[in-house]
Amino acid sequence: MMVEYIRIAAYLGAGISVGIGAVTTGIGSGIIAGEGAKAIVTQPKANESIFRTMLIGQAAAQTAGIFALVVSMLLIYGGFDVAEGGWFKVAALLSAGVAIGIGSIGPSIGAGYSGGEACKSIARMPKHSNAIMGNMLIGQALSQTSAIFALVVSLLLLYSVPNPEEGISIGRLIFKSVAFLGAGLSIGFGTIGPGAGIGYVAGRANNMIGRFPDEKASIMRTMFVGAAVSESTAIYSLVVAFLLIFAV
Amino acid sequence: MENITLAAGIVKASALLGAGLCMGMGALGPGVGEGFVAGKACEGIARSPENASLITRTMLVGQAVSESTGIYSLVIALLLIFST
Repeated sequence: MMVEYIRIAAYLGAGISVGIGAVTTGIGSGIIAGEGAKAIVTQPKANESIFRTMLIGQAAAQTAGIFALVVSMLLIYGGFDVAEGGWFKVAALLSAGVAIGIGSIGPSIGAGYSGGEACKSIARMPKHSNAIMGNMLIGQALSQTSAIFALVVSLLLLYSVPNPEEGISIGRLIFKSVAFLGAGLSIGFGTIGPGAGIGYVAGRANNMIGRFPDEKASIMRTMFVGAAVSESTAIYSLVVAFLLIFAV
Repeated sequence: MENITLAAGIVKASALLGAGLCMGMGALGPGVGEGFVAGKACEGIARSPENASLITRTMLVGQAVSESTGIYSLVIALLLIFST
């Protein structure tokens, strides 16, 4: 009977993961495509560099969706059809899907905003397209960091959950299982803010590098410092998730 | 191994779920807010580079204040995990 519960949790987790993950990666790359199309209308001469930036930006914005896809493939085909792990495994598999599913919302929207501003900015200053595209990629990578935190927690939940001890009391079984769910929710929701916030920073930086290319160095410095501070809450969530998995 | 009853287990389980939700939701606001501060600071430095140090200082102070709710969530989450 335990095998069925584990499989139910794995399939449900797979659905949640790629279901929620696909919504926002779609929105993110849609923003880039929309801004790209608008940019080509205003600056048809720069259509090659705008098109290139749009494609690269969309690929970077899809990263979190690809993480969600990988986790759901692992949940479906990763060999979770043995009774090993018991209720801990059930909670952890469900939580792995929730973590990466919700965790991909913020980074995708952030990367989408960053890419959209980059397309707009290239339309205004086609001469500086390389500097803008470089900054866009750095900003998108920064905003995907929190998606990588969510991926790490998902993979830990998939593969490093212990077996319940022999003769475990019912109370301990319940709170340990719920702790795994809490870990997924913590890192899942915890990445929304930092991902979207860093995306906004990167977008404004792209926009301003297009307007004032001479100030590139100080703009990028501010972007790095601001993004690092904004990342701190994602790190708090990661710490709480680790504590809930390993220290409870 | 300590023997935990069903009721005590449910109480502890709710505390842990609460800790996860608390840190998760609590990280949402500061993340977006600090990102907004930093984005506007990039804009300000680009427009008036001569005030860069003033803008950076304001940005960091604003982010530190905005971070405080994230730290409150962290404290509450740690309390829920370790002292219930």
